[in-house]
Amino acid sequence: METQTLVEEKCPTKTQGWINAGAILVDVREPEEVAIVDFDVPNIIHIPLSEFEESYKEIPMDKQIVTVCENGTRSLRAAGFLINHGYTKVFNMKHGMIRWLQRGFPAIGDTTVPEGSVSCCSH
Amino acid sequence: MNIKVLGPGCPKCKTTYNNVIEAVKQTGIDAEVIKIEDIEEMMKYNVLTTPVLMINEVAKIKGRVAEIKEIKELINANL
Repeated sequence: METQTLVEEKCPTKTQGWINAGAILVDVREPEEVAIVDFDVPNIIHIPLSEFEESYKEIPMDKQIVTVCENGTRSLRAAGFLINHGYTKVFNMKHGMIRWLQRGFPAIGDTTVPEGSVSCCSH
Repeated sequence: MNIKVLGPGCPKCKTTYNNVIEAVKQTGIDAEVIKIEDIEEMMKYNVLTTPVLMINEVAKIKGRVAEIKEIKELINANL
C-alpha cells in the first residue's frame, strides 16, 4: 500500500458520511472505465487523469473534495496534485471503485463485484 | 545531466527506465539516471499519468513509454 503523509485517505465506508454531507466525488478514471460502471452519488465530477492538469480548475475550492478511481492509486496522485495547487479540503478514497462495489454502495452499470480481500474498517 | 523516471513500477515504467539506460549508453554521455517509485516523492513533482520522463528537472514525456530514439533526441537537445 502507498505510504505517504501529504494526503488524507478514507475507505468507502467512512466516505459515505461525507457524501451525505455534500462532498463532491472527483472521479479520475478514463471515460471507457466510467462507461462500464459509475458511482451513483449526488455530487460527482469526472475528470480523467489524462486531462486533469488542464481541467482541475473546474473543481470548486470551497467544497469538500473526495478523489476516486478504480483502486485508489491514481486518485491519490490527483489529490496530491490538488493539495499542491492550493486545495485544502481534499481526501482520497482508498481502494476505489473495487471496494465500493464489494461493499454494495450505489453504482450504475456493471456492478459485478471484483475478487479480492474485504476487511477495511474492522478497527 | 540528470534524468528521472517517475512511476509506481508498472511495466511501462520499467520499459521507460530501460530505454533511458540504453539511450544513455548509445549517446555515451555522463548522466545520472534515477528511478522514483515513492508516492510521496512523485507527488512533489505533481505526477499524474505515469510514467514521467524528466531531464534536468523538466518533465519531457508523460503518461506513456519513452522510446530510445526520442530519448536520445531529448538528450542531445539538452547537452
